[in-house]
Amino acid sequence: MINPKAKTAVKNTLIYLTLTTFALFFVIPFLWILSTSLKGNEQIFVIPPQWIPSTFMWDNYAKVFERIPFLLYVKNSVFISLIVITGTVLSSSIVAYSFACLNWPGRNALFVVVLASMMLPMQVTMIPVFVIFKEIGWLNSFKPLTLPAFLGGGAFNIFLLRQFFLSIPRDLLDSARIDGCSEFRIYWNIVLPNAKPALATVSILTFMFTWNDFLGPLIYLSDQAKGTIALGLGMFVGQYVTEWSLLMAASMLMMLPMLIIFFVFQKYFIQGFIMSGLKD
Amino acid sequence: MILAMGIFLFMPSDKAPDDGKIRLKYWMVSAMLEAPFHITEFNKTHKNIFIERTPLPWNEHEKKILTSILSDNPPDLIFLVTPVAKWATRLALTPLDEYIKRDNFDSTIFFPALWEEMKFKNNIYALPLYSNSYAFFYNKRLFREAGLDPEKPPRTWDELLEYSAKLTKRDAKGNYTQMGFIPTYGNVHTSVIMAWERGAQMLINDGTKVSLANQPTIDAFKWMADYYEQYNVKDVSSFQAGFGFAEQQGFVAEKLAMMVLDNSFPDQINHYNKNLEFGVAEIPTFEGFEPVSFSGSWWFAIPRGAKNKEAAWELMKFAVQKNIQLTEAEKQRELLFPSNSSAANDPAFLALNPSNKIFTNLIGHSKTPTIVPLAHDVFWREYIGAQERVIHKLQSPAEALKQAEKIIQMHLDETIEYDNYVRSKVLVN
Amino acid sequence: MINFGLNKLSKQQARTGLIFMMPWFIGFLIFGLYPMVMSVYYSLCRYDVLRIPQFIGFGNYEKLILEDPYFWTSISNTLVYTALRVPLCIIGSLLLAVLVNNAVRGVKFFRTVFFIPSIVTGVVLSVVWLWMFNPQFGLLNSFLAYMGISGPLWLLDPNWSKPSMVLMSVWSIGGGRMLVFLAALQGIPKHLYEAVDIDGGGWWAKFRNVTVPMISPVLFLWSVLEIIFSLQVFVEAYVMTQGGPLNSTMFYNLYLYNKAFNDFEMGYASALAWILMIISLIITIIQFRLSKNWVHYDGGAK
Repeated sequence: MINPKAKTAVKNTLIYLTLTTFALFFVIPFLWILSTSLKGNEQIFVIPPQWIPSTFMWDNYAKVFERIPFLLYVKNSVFISLIVITGTVLSSSIVAYSFACLNWPGRNALFVVVLASMMLPMQVTMIPVFVIFKEIGWLNSFKPLTLPAFLGGGAFNIFLLRQFFLSIPRDLLDSARIDGCSEFRIYWNIVLPNAKPALATVSILTFMFTWNDFLGPLIYLSDQAKGTIALGLGMFVGQYVTEWSLLMAASMLMMLPMLIIFFVFQKYFIQGFIMSGLKD
Repeated sequence: MILAMGIFLFMPSDKAPDDGKIRLKYWMVSAMLEAPFHITEFNKTHKNIFIERTPLPWNEHEKKILTSILSDNPPDLIFLVTPVAKWATRLALTPLDEYIKRDNFDSTIFFPALWEEMKFKNNIYALPLYSNSYAFFYNKRLFREAGLDPEKPPRTWDELLEYSAKLTKRDAKGNYTQMGFIPTYGNVHTSVIMAWERGAQMLINDGTKVSLANQPTIDAFKWMADYYEQYNVKDVSSFQAGFGFAEQQGFVAEKLAMMVLDNSFPDQINHYNKNLEFGVAEIPTFEGFEPVSFSGSWWFAIPRGAKNKEAAWELMKFAVQKNIQLTEAEKQRELLFPSNSSAANDPAFLALNPSNKIFTNLIGHSKTPTIVPLAHDVFWREYIGAQERVIHKLQSPAEALKQAEKIIQMHLDETIEYDNYVRSKVLVN
Repeated sequence: MINFGLNKLSKQQARTGLIFMMPWFIGFLIFGLYPMVMSVYYSLCRYDVLRIPQFIGFGNYEKLILEDPYFWTSISNTLVYTALRVPLCIIGSLLLAVLVNNAVRGVKFFRTVFFIPSIVTGVVLSVVWLWMFNPQFGLLNSFLAYMGISGPLWLLDPNWSKPSMVLMSVWSIGGGRMLVFLAALQGIPKHLYEAVDIDGGGWWAKFRNVTVPMISPVLFLWSVLEIIFSLQVFVEAYVMTQGGPLNSTMFYNLYLYNKAFNDFEMGYASALAWILMIISLIITIIQFRLSKNWVHYDGGAK
């Protein structure tokens, strides 16, 4: 018989080996992007590739700002994201409160509609919605990208917050009601403060989605000055196909806020996904 | 609170200086970095109008312009290269007939072929501003290295194949390091030119019938298939994946010895690779056939719903004058060819660049890439798709072209039907 | 008195409840129900938004089923992509979750590292991998060349383009999906594994007879979602290949986008959207039918 201690040691070594292999697979591309973003053209097209550029071309990052109005795009993206987050958090939480904490006729039936609407592919509604925005003269503005967030904030977020609100003790709400609190006060002063982690999760997921959204801006924004960062990067590919160092520098810049947010709010990321993956 | 402050901070601002001038929004689909001369000069000479130029990148430009028209906030003037008819059938342009009549505008100043393209259903919708014309470029240094006479470019496609073999090099692993000619690289489709040279008519019956599966085009596709059989599609694609724009363009980087390029290239080569020693000649043809070239027209037009139509028309008339086009030609680096024929034939223009004479002569016997105006995108998508299928040996030339012809025809029929329907229901213009 | 009070309270609550859910309801009417109805109408028309719609009955459907080769190409591309991607991603995430479920030191660090790539999505992901896939100077072929293998053309080769895009999505298997699987794994009671130990079963028996059945609801939910996502693939193809080479990455959604916003054939694109909806629905229904054979909802209770 093999001694169990040795068996554990072998097992652990194997585990670490696998973990490390995967870690390399996941991390090396980042190093490669970083390395490319700091190279000059003559260093990029070298076989075999150099990992550490012979001279660091920090210039590439400056060039990104020259070639496309990068700052303006960042500004637009931040602006859109902030409004969408505000709208989503406010409206999805109040709707979720209604579905989770209030009794009204037809509630369960409508909640099924909420869930079902998640399955509706946006392609089906995309064209008529485009026509609606055309009719009210909102094309080529940020309105189609931002204002709908105030109308429900997305079925998925309603679902996620409802699940969380259900876990808030009923007694807390009922005693407030007996004290004569209005439902809005209960929602605003009791439920929202208790749901901070869930709201943070919704905000972060919303930010990630909005920051990366490509199709929305692609359809609605035609003015160059109204571009978002995702759109800008997408168009950059078309125009400067082989200026890889600039493309990688632009990609690094676009990834940066997401990476920072990830490292700061790790906890909420993990929570958000676990909550959304609930068994039912 | 913080969110609200953030939103305020990042609020986009639309501020235009208020100086009482008409602000003319002019969208140009081109890679020109600096404002062309006709704009700067117009701004200088017209005190009541100020032109705001916006360069539009090629990607998605059509969607951008159409959405701006849909949102009732179009530019006052657009500068484009795609078929006028396509825009006109969508009711996206303002007809110019009234302006032309009122001001007795003389349309004979343009090359006749360019002017013809500005019409759709008895109306004029645009004025040509430039044309771009294509010729055959070859690398004299690489010719010498391969033991070819640098003053004798190939005259026929058979000669080109011979030259190409001599100009192609591989490394130890068998990868290409230099090639003579890649018939599908660049904006021009060599096969279309070959088909034209042998007399192909691709749109017949008054513009209602597409004819692609004709013998000259089938033969041109066979030539393509043979070429790629010989050079291997995968190897060529892999080599071509290393090309890019500007100094990495295949011909400019001297990785490719021969190529069909437009009249902006002498300047581009000067700019990105001064040491490149090149020659310009007519595009090769087949034994016993006249050579044909390719030239597209760049035009400008007033979108439907534009706010400053008079000012836009003012600028259009101004920009196509002979002296403006001549000065523009002198000043502009990435120059497109003047649409005004007397400017293009002026000795001052011909002296600007040794190859200008070749290009001016070529416009006389060149054809437009707008082959099926009302199904332009579909035509090229299908044509290129068919060519790819032939190159990859998925279909025979005749099969591929028949398939493409059917789809283009279907699309053309629908476009015509829709156009007729709309014209029967609403008062157009 | 008390009864009356409660009744009043619940009436008031019902009213407030209705008011509070209004934002969603209005949004649903404007951006859900009305567009669905209009989309049916447009799908029966020729319509380019710039001009008036022309009613043509089922013409669009007839054309796309009988005469449009790209419709079938894009369907088969999308199905192949989905069939390659979904199993690979689900199994990949599950294996990774099993791996990080081992209570070794520093495993949390690895978990974080595995998660990072999944933050990179959409355009950035596509741009970055476009460079990784470059046949001459990209990371993948440089690495393969180092190993003495001459790599494929990846996105430039019609046979490799779809597998390339699948490979790209494997980079993100350590993301949210893995975390959900991990949480599910951690919810499995220990005694179930001990029971297998007593029966003399090895790790495979544990995985096969305990792990998979216990987390089958989560696996099922995610396979339904992933299939729906995969059927809607768009950005990757738009940014990296524009549908080429030889239409091998002309996915359904890209084709739909091109029809709608390049050609402005909104009627035709609406018909395409409905067909996509029907395909998704059929696949989901089949999955629910099949799920009865392998998904166990009663697992944890015993």
